[in-house]
Amino acid sequence: MMKRPLLQLFFRLFLLTLSLDSIRAGLPEDFASANGKLSSGHADEVLSTYKTLLTYPEFKTLGSAEIWYNRGLAEMQTGDAVAASLSFRRALLLDPALLPARVELSKTLGALGIPVPNGWKERSMQSIHPETMIVGGAVIGWIGALALIVLLFQASRKKALIVLALTLIVVGHGTSLLGTMADPRRTARHQAVLTAKEAVTLRATPADSATESGKLDPGTLVNILSQNGAWWYVSTGTRSGALQGWIHSNTATSLLPSSKGSS
Amino acid sequence: MKPFRIIKLSAFALILLTGLLLPSRLHAADVSVSAELSHPQISQGEMAELQIKVSGAQQADVPQQIQVNGLQIRLTGQSTQVQMVNFKVTSSVVYSYIVMPLRTGNFTIPGVTVMADGRQFRTAELSFSVDDSRMASNPPPPSSSQMALPPGIPMPGFQQQRARPVQQQPDEGKLVFGEIHCPKKTLYAGEMTPVEIRYYFDARYPVQVRGRVDFGCEGILVERFPDPKQTREDRDGITYNVLTFHSLLSAVKPGSLDVAPAKLDCEIEIPGGLPPGFDDPVFRQLMGGQPGISQSKQVTVKTSGLHLEVLPLPKEGRPESFAGAVGEFDIDSIVSNPHPAAGDPANLVVKIGGRGNFKGMGAPVLTQTEGWRSYPPNDKFDSSDELSYTGVKSFDFTLIAQQAQKESPGCEFSYFDPTTAKYVTLTSKPLPLVASPGGAPTVDSGTGATPSSPPPSNSTGQNSTKNVPAKEGEPLPGITLRSWTTPMQRSEFLIATLAMFVATAALAGMLAYWKIQSQGGTAASRRRKQIAELRSLLIGGSVDAGASYEAALEYTELVLPPSEKRDDLLSGLTARRDLLKYGSGASLPLPALEHRDLLESLNLTPSSPKAP
Repeated sequence: MMKRPLLQLFFRLFLLTLSLDSIRAGLPEDFASANGKLSSGHADEVLSTYKTLLTYPEFKTLGSAEIWYNRGLAEMQTGDAVAASLSFRRALLLDPALLPARVELSKTLGALGIPVPNGWKERSMQSIHPETMIVGGAVIGWIGALALIVLLFQASRKKALIVLALTLIVVGHGTSLLGTMADPRRTARHQAVLTAKEAVTLRATPADSATESGKLDPGTLVNILSQNGAWWYVSTGTRSGALQGWIHSNTATSLLPSSKGSS
Repeated sequence: MKPFRIIKLSAFALILLTGLLLPSRLHAADVSVSAELSHPQISQGEMAELQIKVSGAQQADVPQQIQVNGLQIRLTGQSTQVQMVNFKVTSSVVYSYIVMPLRTGNFTIPGVTVMADGRQFRTAELSFSVDDSRMASNPPPPSSSQMALPPGIPMPGFQQQRARPVQQQPDEGKLVFGEIHCPKKTLYAGEMTPVEIRYYFDARYPVQVRGRVDFGCEGILVERFPDPKQTREDRDGITYNVLTFHSLLSAVKPGSLDVAPAKLDCEIEIPGGLPPGFDDPVFRQLMGGQPGISQSKQVTVKTSGLHLEVLPLPKEGRPESFAGAVGEFDIDSIVSNPHPAAGDPANLVVKIGGRGNFKGMGAPVLTQTEGWRSYPPNDKFDSSDELSYTGVKSFDFTLIAQQAQKESPGCEFSYFDPTTAKYVTLTSKPLPLVASPGGAPTVDSGTGATPSSPPPSNSTGQNSTKNVPAKEGEPLPGITLRSWTTPMQRSEFLIATLAMFVATAALAGMLAYWKIQSQGGTAASRRRKQIAELRSLLIGGSVDAGASYEAALEYTELVLPPSEKRDDLLSGLTARRDLLKYGSGASLPLPALEHRDLLESLNLTPSSPKAP
């Protein structure tokens, strides 16, 4: 009689371990009413509500793509396209397959005059969530590994089955690795969006009086290469020849929310 | 050191130095970005060309479209140029946009952000106006818009087969010349027409092509040239090597247009005379029979000019869904997933096939979209020729059902047919599918009946499989919590992976143990078992004499280490066994005395310790 609850508990723990289970937070009434107000065009009022919501304990380690998306809409309605671009980027960080966020980010970046990222990572993430690739690939890879072990110890070794098991291992773990490489969250810790109201000046050394080495538009995504006090050494890309320089950290906001809930 | 070796080493050093210097010169180039409009003012019905030139880079990221209310600005193509002058390499890339006005008025084309060489640049704003009055078509100012050749075209490397230079001085008019063939001299704005450029080189003289085909002028767009075809042709008794370039040409602005000749720079080796005082048979003999000292001559091969009459697209009968397509097309549509799960998007793929300006055409327009939410389509072009003149362009619309649906939206696509000089509207009918919004039960595919009760509210997100807003720009309901880190960065995933390693190793160990057990254990345990069996057989004496000696032999081989004593014992036992075997006593029981002697020779007694 004890077996079934134990089995359920084990299954639940297994799903939690693999993070396949999306935890449903009890939707606060504030969120529903904020959505209603946003629909009726009261973006100014609801913006603070969304910001408050993101300080809830649920969001200490986790995030909600929907809240960031709605917050981005509110910011867009209040005319803050730069902040909206950050919110949409965060929504896509949590759920790269969230089509409305991708559409709104394209619009926002278009309004800011910034090219919309459309590399292989973005395209592949539109159809499949990286989490699914990583976890699903790992499961397939391990099934292949277990099957191979069993087949190797069988008296009659069937070559076709062994090849199939090896294929499962390669494809499964390869998919898992590919998902990890494509997952935008992997590098998000070292990325920031320029949120200053005007173009940000890149400097050769971490000082206001240092030589200018270029300017970057607000809304641009940069990679943080190192830090020196309140200064960040950033790069606009990974290719050689990418523009690099020091910016003051108050001109940019980290792509990952600082307290994993609010910024 | 031998001179030949010195030359080889010098050449190698030069190549190495060039290889090292060239990339640095390329990287060191300063990048600059500029934008230019072919015409800052046009009449409605005409089109203009916007060019963004990125100097100092070979590749840049630019937007596919530029959003300006009242204008449709789409990227149509790019061309890259790499030049080396005095060992200084410069490269530039030009992105061409078609500017199609949707209404009259004054517009400001905003600055465009361009990412080049890892840096960000922004072009200046441009003013643009569209008026209603039909302006007189002024001939465009002559300019040379160079069409860069794609990498891989053997232009700089094109070298005519080394021909034996002839003695007589060639007629320069017949030495090299070019021709241009354009089947249509009158075309509509936006219409694409093939153009063929042929360059003839007298096969008797060595030629090296240097540079690119320089063709085009303001007001026309020339597609990039694919690899030229090389053929031979006889004309007026002279054999020519012919380079044939094919491309597509389209005009942007209506009016009369004089396109400058297409030019190509090359170097020809022409035989020259001998210096005064050396023009005698003896000197010719010394030169190995050469008629004279050949000289290289820089020549620009030109075709004739091209006169085009460009007609505006008629305003009369222009359908609402017309978005710049000019040519002959057909339409086809499919739903790639006719049974999406509740809340999942369906994909309607509309395929426009035929020939025409695929790069400049806009997307088809969806019809009967009630109850659907659609997103701007992704497009993909599959060309069936190297010029991208014919092919199929697919527009993939993502559709999300806002209510239970049994059919996809329809589709409408309009184009201008230059052959009949009329607009044509193609339609595709709605296609059957079964889709329902998130949280709502799907339509019964058998009866087509929709549920009588309203779908449960998904404001809490409990019933929603996919979060979709009711309308574009509407907030999303429901909250799904997700981690900010990838599984690989989470301890639980790493623990699960470690657990799988342990489980796999445990499984392997378990299977190995079972396999060993099924084979009677390890070799040592099998040996021990065999010795024990032989020992009990020999001590028991229950077998006949022949079998006893067989067992004794086997026991000796197993128990005793190789030695002289062992060999003696084995030969004694073998001799006795053979005697019994070839006599008649093998099947008889072993006599008690002999049994005792046998056990003693093997150091076996009923109470003897177990064999090692």
